Amino acid sequence: MATEDERYRQSSQFRLWSFSPTSLRELRVKTNDLAKQQISPRFAADAQPEFLTPAEETMLVQFFTTELIRAAQFCELPTEIRSTAAVFFRRFYITNSVMTYPPTELLKTSLFFGCKAEGYYIRLAKLAEMFPNTTSEQILAGEFLLCQGIRFAFDVRHPFRALEGAILELRKRLPEEEGRVAKAHAMARDILKFSPLLTDAYFHYTPSQIMMAALLMVDKELVDLLIPVAPPGDDGQHEASHAEMREKIFKTIESCRSMLEKEPPQRMKDHWETPELVKSMKPLRKKLQKCRDTDRADLVALQRARREQATTKVKKPTPQSDGAVFGDAVEARDPKRRKLEAANDLFGPAL
Amino acid sequence: MALSPVVTTTSSASNPQLENIQTLRPVSSPLKNLASGSGQTSSNGNPKPALAPAPASTTGQTLPPTLDLAEQMNEEEKRKYVKGKKLGEGTYAVVFLGHLRSNPATRVAIKKIKVQKEYTEGMAPDAVRELKHLQELQHPNIISLLSVFSSKDQNLNLVLEYLPLGDLEMLIRDTDNVRYGAADIKAWMGMLTRAVWFCHENFVLHRDIKPNNLLIAADGEVKLADFGLARSFADPHRHMTSNVITRWYRPPELLFGARYYSGAVDVWSVGTVFAELILRAPYMPGNNELDQIKMICESIGTPTEDNWPGVTRLPEYTVPGQHPTRGRDWYEMRFGIVGTDGVDLLIKTLALNPQKRITAREMLKHRWWHSEPKPTRKDDLPRKDSGAGEDKMGMDLKRRPGMVADEDRGAKVARKLDFGQR
Repeated sequence: MATEDERYRQSSQFRLWSFSPTSLRELRVKTNDLAKQQISPRFAADAQPEFLTPAEETMLVQFFTTELIRAAQFCELPTEIRSTAAVFFRRFYITNSVMTYPPTELLKTSLFFGCKAEGYYIRLAKLAEMFPNTTSEQILAGEFLLCQGIRFAFDVRHPFRALEGAILELRKRLPEEEGRVAKAHAMARDILKFSPLLTDAYFHYTPSQIMMAALLMVDKELVDLLIPVAPPGDDGQHEASHAEMREKIFKTIESCRSMLEKEPPQRMKDHWETPELVKSMKPLRKKLQKCRDTDRADLVALQRARREQATTKVKKPTPQSDGAVFGDAVEARDPKRRKLEAANDLFGPAL
Repeated sequence: MALSPVVTTTSSASNPQLENIQTLRPVSSPLKNLASGSGQTSSNGNPKPALAPAPASTTGQTLPPTLDLAEQMNEEEKRKYVKGKKLGEGTYAVVFLGHLRSNPATRVAIKKIKVQKEYTEGMAPDAVRELKHLQELQHPNIISLLSVFSSKDQNLNLVLEYLPLGDLEMLIRDTDNVRYGAADIKAWMGMLTRAVWFCHENFVLHRDIKPNNLLIAADGEVKLADFGLARSFADPHRHMTSNVITRWYRPPELLFGARYYSGAVDVWSVGTVFAELILRAPYMPGNNELDQIKMICESIGTPTEDNWPGVTRLPEYTVPGQHPTRGRDWYEMRFGIVGTDGVDLLIKTLALNPQKRITAREMLKHRWWHSEPKPTRKDDLPRKDSGAGEDKMGMDLKRRPGMVADEDRGAKVARKLDFGQR
């Protein structure tokens, strides 16, 4: 428990939600495979849809993450909550495919649950009003799914506090350069609000590494100043190992930086919000419509079915004898079944 | 019992790929846990029985016939435990005794969170808070969360370590059968202080420290439980609710409605527990909030601008009358059995001004721990038989956070804060 590193290694973010790039890639491929296996039997053998590739799924998750960020801004949610919601959303789609559960719905649920996990109690109905054609029930329908998907790990470690700490330190070290530090602060914060959420940074790096990488993007010298060189008066051997460590740290931060640089904050305006981009997403979204799991696309109906199944199961012991003997149990449930199927139909038949 | 899966069409035996799904809390490298957990593309090339479409004859076919990855992992977690007899039931949760399926000797407590009627916005905030913080805190003096799973109709089940020896309240109250002395108090206080220090070191405020949230393990170790009111430290300028901590253990700043506070609130509670351990009765059992303030004024002293600059500007500052701050002699008379050093520590934890109050970290450095008598070894601590303790754990875990033992129903201490405030 001595060091901060040891403490971080106990966090759920490290234990459950940190991966090497290879294992993360493998996970996504597996999730995609599994979804295909599950959905495929719902289509006739000669009418199999074209499924999304893992890369296409990643692309869609990224696109919907920008939608989530915009929605959070529209609802005026604080930065940390917005980021928590985005991380929940992205974590969910590591082990769930967008073909299985609709990202447009999970996006809203992530926002709602992000608020709850951060202790920011926004009224559900108020949040529902913010979105077109959205009821409270719809937002809530995915809550349990989401919680399960994020493995009940509700604590997300963000780089924002690390940045505040670094800035305090820099102000102390560079009293003459207030303007420079303030500028770096603002720019780094802008990066942290966007770039790590659009990339896999949270899955590969610690909050302080992400923070340092953002600072590196705006003012490298400041990072040089923050990462200590060997204290003077040390013996040579000590100095060498210290230099080695410093190099290792810089290598890590540099690789994080190149990841963040793929999605600098200006990409929101210059890329994700442009009509061309929205248009270019259309074929992908269409493809998704055709290959998605129609049984799970309507979370509200799915949720009701689960509740219903739970209650019927409890009652079962008594009526079972009658039902089994007269064979009417199935029939009795039929109207409900039809209703649910009808509900599914609203979203179009299996294409 | 009660272990039927959410979807009945999957049988565990026919599901080889479930076997390597990891637990909630793996100790190995996190780099591989999900990767190995999701071994869906079975490496041995076998077909996947669990994933095949279900025959149409089974129960309500409105659900997708197969389990997805998250559901499979949930099933696997659930199957690890066998739910046993009910230990207690309250408005917030039902607590069951349970054991590991693979090793019935390993007992656990399963806390099933009830769906709350008055809270219609999904998962209960108490449960969210409790899960959030227990997931992050691993310490010998904090109750361990072993697993989480959902049972049918999406009830949350928290699997907690089983603590069969009851709680500190039970020992404090049973003056006929339980005798303890300064060395025992020191041992218990040491464990409590380490737990609180660890929470604060991890930027978590517990906000409900009291004797019946201090459970006792089979080996005598004290464990801080019930994180249903806990929260992370707030960022500067962010409001917090003052409506936390069970009244008798609530510090003056919260009674005065402070919206910004720190770990000092927990330290006050630790101080009141310390006093209660010595007196064997609650130190300041106020009947309501005003009465609580009155008791603090009488027992410790009236908070004024002199002893606490700024206190009169707190939103709900009212005091019933002026009482001088109690001197050391007064404490020595009442709490002398813990020695001069013990009394010094007690005074510092019950400082009126939260900024002057000792911190948990400073508490650990206090000289009392090193003065005579040495704390009792945990195996030698006084205890009660396990039958009573079992029931007690059921009682403690089912209770709603923020409640004095006998007011689970009436007062709505913690409940109100769930709405609209933070």
